[in-house]
Amino acid sequence: MIDVLPPFTLYLLGALLLPFLPKGHVRGLLTIVVPVVGAWWIWSAPEGLHGQMTWMGLEMVWMRVDKLAVVFGLVFSLAAFLAALYAWHLRDTVQQVATLLYAGSAIGAVFAGDLVTLFLFWEGTAIASVFLIWARRTEGAYATGMRYLVIQISSGVILLGGLVLQYHDTGSIAFEAMTLGSLGTWAIFLSFGIKCAFPLLHDWLQDAYPAATVTGTVVLSAFTTKLAVYALARGFPGTEILIYIGAVMALFPFVYALIENDLRRVMVYSLNIQLGYMVVGVGIGTELALNGAAAHAFTGILYKALLFMGLGAVLFRTGTAKASELGGLYKTMPVTMVLCVIGAASISAFPLFSGFISKSLILSAAAHEHHNIVWAMLLAASAGALIHTGIKIPYFAFFGADSGKRPKEAPAHMLLAMGLTAALCIGLGVFPSVLYDMLPYEVDYDVYTTTHVITQLQLLLFSALGFALLMKAGIFPMPQRSVTLSSDWTYRKAGPAVVWYVGLAVRASWRGTSGLIAKLYADFIKAMHASAGPDGARAANWPTGAMVMNIAILLGIVLVVIFVS
Amino acid sequence: MARAMRARMQPGETTDMETFTAIILSMVIPLVAMFASMALPKQDNLRDGITFVCAVATFAVVLVILSNVGGGSTAAVELIEVLPGVSLAFNVEPLGLMFALIASGLWILTHIYGVGYMRGNNEKNHARFFACFSAAISGVMGIAFSANMFTLFLFYEFLTVSTYPLVAHKGTPEAVSGARTYLSILMGTSIALLLTAVIWTYALTGTLDFTKGGIMQGKASGWIVPVLLGLYAFGIGKAALMPFHRWLPAAMVAPTPVSALLHAVAVVKAGVFTMLKVGVYIFGIDFLAETGASEWLMWLAAYSIIAASVVAMCQDNLKKRLAYSTVSQLSYITLGVALATDMGALGGGMHIAMHAMGKITLFMCAGSIYVAYHRTEVSQLSGLGRAMPITFAAFCIGAISIIGLPPMGGSWSKFLLMVGAVDAGQQLMIVVLMASSLLNVAYLMPIVAKGFFMAGDDKVPTGFAEAPLFCWLPPAITAFGCLVLFVFAGEIQTFLAGMVN
Amino acid sequence: MAQFKDDPEKLPWLGRKLMLFDDKKNVDRLVYGLYALCALLFLADFFYKKKYYISAENFPGFYALYGFFACVVLVLCAKVLRRFLMRDEGFYAPQDTESEDHPDHDLGKESHYD
Repeated sequence: MIDVLPPFTLYLLGALLLPFLPKGHVRGLLTIVVPVVGAWWIWSAPEGLHGQMTWMGLEMVWMRVDKLAVVFGLVFSLAAFLAALYAWHLRDTVQQVATLLYAGSAIGAVFAGDLVTLFLFWEGTAIASVFLIWARRTEGAYATGMRYLVIQISSGVILLGGLVLQYHDTGSIAFEAMTLGSLGTWAIFLSFGIKCAFPLLHDWLQDAYPAATVTGTVVLSAFTTKLAVYALARGFPGTEILIYIGAVMALFPFVYALIENDLRRVMVYSLNIQLGYMVVGVGIGTELALNGAAAHAFTGILYKALLFMGLGAVLFRTGTAKASELGGLYKTMPVTMVLCVIGAASISAFPLFSGFISKSLILSAAAHEHHNIVWAMLLAASAGALIHTGIKIPYFAFFGADSGKRPKEAPAHMLLAMGLTAALCIGLGVFPSVLYDMLPYEVDYDVYTTTHVITQLQLLLFSALGFALLMKAGIFPMPQRSVTLSSDWTYRKAGPAVVWYVGLAVRASWRGTSGLIAKLYADFIKAMHASAGPDGARAANWPTGAMVMNIAILLGIVLVVIFVS
Repeated sequence: MARAMRARMQPGETTDMETFTAIILSMVIPLVAMFASMALPKQDNLRDGITFVCAVATFAVVLVILSNVGGGSTAAVELIEVLPGVSLAFNVEPLGLMFALIASGLWILTHIYGVGYMRGNNEKNHARFFACFSAAISGVMGIAFSANMFTLFLFYEFLTVSTYPLVAHKGTPEAVSGARTYLSILMGTSIALLLTAVIWTYALTGTLDFTKGGIMQGKASGWIVPVLLGLYAFGIGKAALMPFHRWLPAAMVAPTPVSALLHAVAVVKAGVFTMLKVGVYIFGIDFLAETGASEWLMWLAAYSIIAASVVAMCQDNLKKRLAYSTVSQLSYITLGVALATDMGALGGGMHIAMHAMGKITLFMCAGSIYVAYHRTEVSQLSGLGRAMPITFAAFCIGAISIIGLPPMGGSWSKFLLMVGAVDAGQQLMIVVLMASSLLNVAYLMPIVAKGFFMAGDDKVPTGFAEAPLFCWLPPAITAFGCLVLFVFAGEIQTFLAGMVN
Repeated sequence: MAQFKDDPEKLPWLGRKLMLFDDKKNVDRLVYGLYALCALLFLADFFYKKKYYISAENFPGFYALYGFFACVVLVLCAKVLRRFLMRDEGFYAPQDTESEDHPDHDLGKESHYD
């Protein structure tokens, strides 16, 4: 029986209720209240398995409460709350309902105790989230949303295939730690990898998130990818290949982040990089590393949200988030600027900011286990993060060359949402034990040692120095209106072109053969007509004698046949 | 359902009088509706009212059967013996009962919808239309309760003939030529191939009775089995297995209620239902698995699933797109049979219900759009979702069910089919089913997205302007049904389990 | 790039304060401050006992040098790769949002000088 209702039900009820409320603040209030109640619900749920039921012979567990699930559940609730506050001005029913269902599905997936339940919510996040992209209501957003949906659904069906194989192999659908080996586990791994934006499976992320609405991108940034991190932490902790995947993930998007023009897309590349850290943490799989992955997901959701909100506010006021079109906004949007800088400091992991307390766990875990090369890659990525996000975002949006734009400060509710998020970023940075106490394993780690603080400051400030010198020398690549080629070129340009030409060839050969067959058939009919038609030889008036002769011959043949047999 | 499971009977038990009467009534009541429709060509409301009552009565009668028999099977009751071992006979078993429930239940909704559609659209010859419609339902009931292949064959042909006037209803040259394709393919395959298969089966086994576990064991072997299966598979043209699928898109010239109930539910499902019956009760799942005779059919079904989806993607006409989608989805069920595992057959059986509910929703939505705005092409639908939110929301739900995503019924049948595929050791079939889901997304979701989120042309109203109530209410109900089926899939599975072991 | 003098009256309080960066000298001061900080941090390495797990870490100023060179190398890489990866904004149009304007229904454009 269901003794503790999964928090998803709350979001579902909210989503069902919302369209029947009067438009305006009442609906906004509902979207804010639901995550708050949901968070309390999660906080007070007793540990253990709840909502167990047998369904079509499958042992389903709707609600598994343990520390790993709770920490993700809480940060998802927090993100839903902040995003709802940020979207207070929104009067779009579709987006509000989609947000509730999306957040609810993500939370539902986190508490799923078996693979089938996970699959249900996994697809739920895919379906609900696409509406946040389509809600932009342009042709480009429509096409982007379709691409996004197909890729998200493919992750879901691969998960379904994987779980069916796993079920067949083990006879159980429990969602526990797995070892890569069988086809089923690889399929599940691949499914998680798609949502987690593994290298070469990542392009949907950069493609889709910046195409959403101002508020939609904030919502999107929190859930899908972190859910994938959670799923990896639950299903594949300590899987060595993840270390290398994560390290590559943390480093290579740097190039793209640096040359990308759309600042919201820069943020998505940066998001991809942060995911790399978490994946490394999961791959190392020690208690420290898993704690690090969970902590980094927690802080990451917050400072990412803060930066997406800040850029969203700029977009909201100016109509663009492109570096080439922005600059010089610091005087007219100073509060947004300061909050963005707090977000930038957090993502760059300055001491006293939230990124510092979580990223350190992962870097230390890598060093403790002597993954030296991976550690060096992550360190370089940290230096890079300061450049492409910590400096690039505030610099080109608010400082840099003056664009002449003088937008008004962001609306009060946006500032409030950003202010709360910024306060959390600083709060967690100053009081790391608040977060550490929530982590899945006991934390025995002192983040504020002299060595650590000084080395981190050295790393960051010398990177900043590098930036300053490169700028002075005019080497730093300045933003230009452009798009950047990536592996999505294969399915956006090459794939369709191949399909088009193959289609042409198939059509031509089909027309050719069917035309040929039709011609042969027509010729045959004509020939028959000529020989047996009214003008044909067989239709001519034959003398009776000839007919009698024919019959006689026929009878003769029959006689012979009978005689012989 | 709960009651159904409690009242489960053992196979071989006799059919009590009440159940037998109910079976006969389920075929007779639609005939009553047919005659009433023919007798009352002018009194529109009375005629449609009588048919509605008959539809409800038919459904009620099937419910009586359900409560009497539940998930069990009854012995056959013979009416006339034609040859030794060949007779006109009926019985109840889970698959047929489920089929009868779906067809009769959805008939009620489709009738309401049909009245709204025919009147809203100013179609002519209502009496003939509804008469043929009722006759077709009678045929479907006969198919559902057939106790042997001979009876099934008779009703199968009856169904073809009774739906022919519906396809040709509009009387335009296009409609007539579509109806000709319809009749020639369905009649041609059934007489040339299916009849041959039936006679051959009789010659081999001396019986045509549907028997649990099949009748072929020890009677046929070697090359005969796959060839005979081929005769059945292609002979059952209504299952629209490629390459005998052309009749289905051709039948789309019919008025939409026909496409909705008959060419998404009753007729096509009669085809795959027959396929399942043949696979489960004539050949037997275990026999097919032992001989491996169905492996080629599995590959053909897989091809049909993918190819029809690709064709569907290229169709701009909404109903044609849905028709090709149906071709693809029907092959899921054929695939379920061809996998020759219990789970595959169960998944196939369940997919009859899931697909019926989803596809009828889609067709009724397509019809609503046509009634309200006379739009038939996908490219004309931009912005209509704003004006017709209920229709498009229903379409979205139906589409999600067809794709096989939670929280809609379609996800469970696909899950079972995948389990069946793994049980059969055919991992590649999982990939086929995955690919099909993605293709479904690619050809169904654009309709939702364009409808809701793209700007329409200047003829699209900006405010709320739905189709008539009778047009949008039935698809809304069936869309809700897709959700309900998601929740009750477990019950359906338990119910159908009596069909295998 | 419109260059015009801001009217302090119309700016928010914090914005008025930040007008001090209109003066290039103040920006330069900021950069000099950065140089000084860097120098201090580098020297700091000689005045405490480092705790380390990887031997390279113990090298004086390792983090500083690593950060600086990593960043310079990465930026140079990006600069080179940009030549190959950059395409026109309308490259994927119309199936892409990049070349579209953000639709107004999603915005609340307001300017200080309206």
